[in-house]
Amino acid sequence: MSTINVEQISKSFGAQKAVDNVSFDVEPGEIFGLLGPNGAGKTTSIRIILDIFKPDTGKVSILGGQMTEEKKNKIGYLPEERGLYQDISLDRCLIYLATLKGMDEHEAQKRISEYLEKFDLAASKKKKVKELSKGMQQKAQLITTLVHKPEIVIIDEPFSALDPVNTQMVKDILQEERARGTSIVMCTHQMHQVEALADRIALISQGKTVLYGTLANVRQQFAKEALIVRTSSALPAELPGVSEIEKTNSHNILHLVEGQKPQDILRELLTRNIVVEQFEIALPTLDEIFIEVVKNKGVSE
Amino acid sequence: MSKTWLVLKNEFLSAVLRRSFLLTLVLLPLMSFIILLVVSGIQKSSGDANTDALTDFFSPKVESSNLPEGFIDLSGLVKEIPQASQEKLVRFDNEDTAKKAVEAGTISAYYVIEKDFLAEGTILYMRPDYNPLGGMENTGAIETLMANALTDGDIELAYRVQDPLNVKEVSLAATPQRSSSNMLTFFLPYIVTFLFYIVILTSSSLLLNNISTEKQNRMMEILMTSVTPRQMLTGKIIALGFVGLLQTIVWSGSGYLMLLFSGQQFALGDAFKLPPSILIWGIIYFILGYAVYASLMAGVGALVPNLREAGQTTTVVILPLIIPLVFISSLIQAPNSPLSVVLSLFPLTAPVSMMTRLAATTVPFWQTALAAVLIGLTALFLVQSAAKMFRAQNLLSGQSINTKTFFSALFGK
Repeated sequence: MSTINVEQISKSFGAQKAVDNVSFDVEPGEIFGLLGPNGAGKTTSIRIILDIFKPDTGKVSILGGQMTEEKKNKIGYLPEERGLYQDISLDRCLIYLATLKGMDEHEAQKRISEYLEKFDLAASKKKKVKELSKGMQQKAQLITTLVHKPEIVIIDEPFSALDPVNTQMVKDILQEERARGTSIVMCTHQMHQVEALADRIALISQGKTVLYGTLANVRQQFAKEALIVRTSSALPAELPGVSEIEKTNSHNILHLVEGQKPQDILRELLTRNIVVEQFEIALPTLDEIFIEVVKNKGVSE
Repeated sequence: MSKTWLVLKNEFLSAVLRRSFLLTLVLLPLMSFIILLVVSGIQKSSGDANTDALTDFFSPKVESSNLPEGFIDLSGLVKEIPQASQEKLVRFDNEDTAKKAVEAGTISAYYVIEKDFLAEGTILYMRPDYNPLGGMENTGAIETLMANALTDGDIELAYRVQDPLNVKEVSLAATPQRSSSNMLTFFLPYIVTFLFYIVILTSSSLLLNNISTEKQNRMMEILMTSVTPRQMLTGKIIALGFVGLLQTIVWSGSGYLMLLFSGQQFALGDAFKLPPSILIWGIIYFILGYAVYASLMAGVGALVPNLREAGQTTTVVILPLIIPLVFISSLIQAPNSPLSVVLSLFPLTAPVSMMTRLAATTVPFWQTALAAVLIGLTALFLVQSAAKMFRAQNLLSGQSINTKTFFSALFGK
């Protein structure tokens, strides 16, 4: 059963259609990348999922039904516009937010202490939040997202303001959470992080879902008829079935004639006694797909 | 534990543990206490055991010269200078000698009693300096002189003519009586008015401050995945209402203690006895008045992106709270005049105005009850409106508002 089921939701603010017929599912134990350029409708979609906004049409099902007070306690949310109470001590702030998620104060205290140790914040727990660095506040916000052991984690730009060490730590934590069976929806512009972590993605542009599926499927979908080939000797200037040979510093990109099978090219190279060191189908990066889709969408509109 | 309770507890603790709040809570009574100590110190040293010391403190007597004044009688009415005025008045035959005496510093000023005094009552007061507000401080002596002259030297009759009435007020109302000539009776309604104004204003402003700070700290979105806007609003309004109540209790409690303390110093008598019902009405009007203004402030808070943007709208919203202060003299001096009655029944001005009237006079029960019902109904309407404004879309948007958009939202347009 999907933990989140979004069915054709739409939402307008005045004349502006922020979300237009968006659908997707999120499964237990997966990291789902919700991608899109700025202003695409990601945040509005998330707010609809979280029942902060009501959709104009369509419906959302969370953990098998409508959102309830009890279900809210099973969700951890780290919004893009994040904040904490600035004028109170870190531990008081974290305990209050944890109790709002239905945790008993004693239990919250215990678990927050563990997290503060883990996130290297234990020494700062009595400091006022405003005295903490941006990175420390970011880690504190992650604690509020995870402390109540949610079944669903929705996290917007989890890596902003983090140094490489902390980025790796957050990645490890997200993977641990996934292994625990948590459904994680991750919004980010850092495509390499999505490539490294996400199982499936949905790309939203101008309020509409323009891509949806597993990472491998999406990349396959955008695979151009091209090959990455690295050889120990120079390639001949022309090869049958190859329309263009593009040379880069480390390899060649062979653009194929339409309908040409890659196996025939490999056979041709071997017949010519060329030593092949690398031979793979050229799949586009998520960055390239993102730019292509968003640009095309912009042009077609 | 209910989430409304969690919000309430957190808001209450956050507000009362703030350093600025604790300082105001303690400093105000402390300052009043110091003033009181100073005043009673002055009193003790002057050996004066009544409340005149307090009066003197707030409106000191004009310093008068110790020199006598002169007079020239052109009317021929003044046969003799009464015994009591002999040290204060010196007769001169003409203006030249009087002028010279002023220049020589033997008299401070002189009067010229005109020829036609009997018909016109004209007396010229000639003094070396120009002081239109502080002048005529010694007219008592000249008045007695003229009264004595007009009554053919019957000084007792002269005194009676000068001050014909000695009215003693006796209230027929069942409530404790306060001496109406006592200065504390004069100050009490002012104290009650300002206390009420300050407490309602500060506690409802606290709410506006709180909501806009939460917006600025970007807490709203996180909070809204845990609590509903209604839970948040209810928790905040009740918590900050308690903060206001705490402030009122501490302030009036220390006020009461100060009165107990000063009672021994001031020989207060019945001056400060208020009917016990004023306390009950005070609590009712505070709760209702707070509910009205807190809902308005919560509405403003829900709409504005930050506190700076709230300025103009807040001014318009709290304007009715200031109106009773503008008319405070009318409210106290004519507490049962049509203006006072209207102000104390109109729901936005009623909480403060009615308390002023209650402190100043005996208000008919139907008026106090009607005012409470009217404020109650207004509060009910405004709480509902504020709850409607306290929606996710308003709380998360950062658009600036003006007074017009606020009132449109208030009336659900």
